[in-house]
Amino acid sequence: MALRGALDKAALWSRINSPWLVHFNSGSCNGCDIEILATLAPRYDLERFGVKLQGSPRHADVLICTGPVTRLARERLLRTYEQMPAPKFVIAVGSCSITGGAFHGCYNIVGDIGDVIPVDVYVPGCPPRPEAIIDGVVQLLTKLRASIARPGGAS
Amino acid sequence: MSPEADFLRISESVGPWVSGSRTAGHRLDMDTSAERLVPAVTAFKNLSWGYLSAITGLDSGTVEPSDGHIEVLYHFCRGPAVVTFRVKVPRGDPSVPSIGAPVPPAVLFERELAETMGVRVTGLPDGKRQFLSDDWPENVYPLRKDFTLESAAATGEPAPAVGSGEEPGTFIIPIGPQHPALKEPGHFELTVDGEIVTHASIRLGYVHRGIEKGAEDRSWVHNIYLMERICGICSHIHATAYVLGVESLAGVAAPPRAQAVRTVFCEMERIHSHLLWLGVAAHEAGFDTLFMYSWRDRETIMDLLEELSGNRVNYSVNLLGGVKYDVDTKAADSVRRGLDFLERRTKHYMKIVTSDESFLRRTRGVGAITYDQANLLGTVGPTARASGVSRDLRHEAPYLAYRDFPIRPVLDSRCDLAARFVVRINELFESYRMVREILDRMPAGELAVPAPRKVQEGEVISRVEAPRGELFYYLRSTGGVKPDRVKVRTPSLCNWAAVLSVAVGHKLADIPMILVGIDPCFSCNDRSITLRRRGSRSLENWSWEDLRAYGISYYAGGAT
Repeated sequence: MALRGALDKAALWSRINSPWLVHFNSGSCNGCDIEILATLAPRYDLERFGVKLQGSPRHADVLICTGPVTRLARERLLRTYEQMPAPKFVIAVGSCSITGGAFHGCYNIVGDIGDVIPVDVYVPGCPPRPEAIIDGVVQLLTKLRASIARPGGAS
Repeated sequence: MSPEADFLRISESVGPWVSGSRTAGHRLDMDTSAERLVPAVTAFKNLSWGYLSAITGLDSGTVEPSDGHIEVLYHFCRGPAVVTFRVKVPRGDPSVPSIGAPVPPAVLFERELAETMGVRVTGLPDGKRQFLSDDWPENVYPLRKDFTLESAAATGEPAPAVGSGEEPGTFIIPIGPQHPALKEPGHFELTVDGEIVTHASIRLGYVHRGIEKGAEDRSWVHNIYLMERICGICSHIHATAYVLGVESLAGVAAPPRAQAVRTVFCEMERIHSHLLWLGVAAHEAGFDTLFMYSWRDRETIMDLLEELSGNRVNYSVNLLGGVKYDVDTKAADSVRRGLDFLERRTKHYMKIVTSDESFLRRTRGVGAITYDQANLLGTVGPTARASGVSRDLRHEAPYLAYRDFPIRPVLDSRCDLAARFVVRINELFESYRMVREILDRMPAGELAVPAPRKVQEGEVISRVEAPRGELFYYLRSTGGVKPDRVKVRTPSLCNWAAVLSVAVGHKLADIPMILVGIDPCFSCNDRSITLRRRGSRSLENWSWEDLRAYGISYYAGGAT
């Protein structure tokens, strides 16, 4: 048991130092998606925080979502989320992912990201600036770091 | 040739099949019937005039569902001229024949018409849904006037399994809708024989939000902001196409300085979009160094856009009747400095994409769309121009300040991916030149004139050149504070037909490059669902449900 606890602690430590992100667009206009990419590009360089964007949800710790959720994308968003190994975290980027934004009330929108999967951090803006996205990621990491102190680790 | 002479020739050729025709400016509208549509379009096609730009459905919107009619508009364009065939069908039983035989690119537009407007298109191949979700109820059509959100409640119909129509011995590789590094979800099914793609199909609709319907519930002013959010890459050009249409309907003209400012933003947006594409395309080739460099340099133009408008992505420049922001001398100087830097960098990129041997091996002779294919399949924008098809509305049908500052269209006749790189990079140089010229000779005067809150009755077609090609807006007003119909046809929709047909015969590894060549920005995450299990010689088809259950149980420790 003691070994298991130590391993969990080591896993969380490495997760905080090197979280892997998977990106999913569930109906966004691309504005936020481009800004997420710009955040990873050299000017803003999110990789400074050890963050790596990669392809498969099966390797990811954090799901970074954009856009309102369209009827067709809802199922895919759920699948992507379910494929991620626990513990997993969700960052919702942009106004649409919070309320549906400019598309609120359009017939093919089922809701915002929080209606479909649990969200840990919301980043508002249309689209949020790269600095805001960095802040969102850092807030998530801070939350995780705080959970190390708590017995039982992260949720 | 002037449009009048063209229109006369067209009217003579299709005369027997049309019941009435009207000419106004650059538009020729011809009434025909469902029975006469195919012969009329065939006769028209034989003239080799223009290309099919869009199909618009209009609902007359009566209270009784069986009353009234639905009008289907087939818009053909060449340069500034638009020829429209109009077919009225009864609302109770709307049905038109498919014009896919004479005009192959019509099929995707007709599918959209059938799904959203509920017009039965007879003879339309491939019955799968393209835009609406699989759980969308039958016989509910969102663009009908009597549509209500309640009627569209999900039916609980599960999505059909991917690859269910698979022949034994072939593999279908599903690509998307979730992508590793990129933005737009779309779903491709590529049938492969070994490494070679033998069939390619596409499923759209993951980002279908229902904006055309949403626009009918919002005011003319409110819609500027909605249209700007159709695409976060070409936000300004959408708003510009929309305000140009509304201004022309309302009989308002933006002052010359406002038009110049709009043009500056159009070209700066093209610069950011092309640099973005260059990086994404390089990334698809596995050339991440170029991706990082071009995105670093792209920040220069993002800074300039922010300096001018306060925003990096949705600039919110347009008003009905003008613009919000001026470009003063100080801002103009920093734009010039930024462009000087970008021009130096772009020369370097041009050198890379034309001389780096390993990169050229990924692009030279790959994904060739011949001149005839590009012409026939109705491609637009840089994709068409890289195949030698001269389609650039800035040159052929100048709008805004392009009348006073002519653009030189960039063409390349090599047709392959390498040509698409060269065309887009040369367009960057052309955009730098344009922005500098406009800044040097910026017209003086007001930034905006007042525009009415209500827009007088009428219809208008507004076409502009977006970074990806021709953007088509059809607007109709019934004299109120809200539009009666807004139809948007974006350039990528025109380019799918061409790219899917050229994908066949290529190696699977080249497909991401070919897809990204038209600039829809795709990367792929392929998960084959046909498994050859160890110890078993037979192929097993797994549905998505099976695969999902397998994945979950595997990670929960249930699988051995």
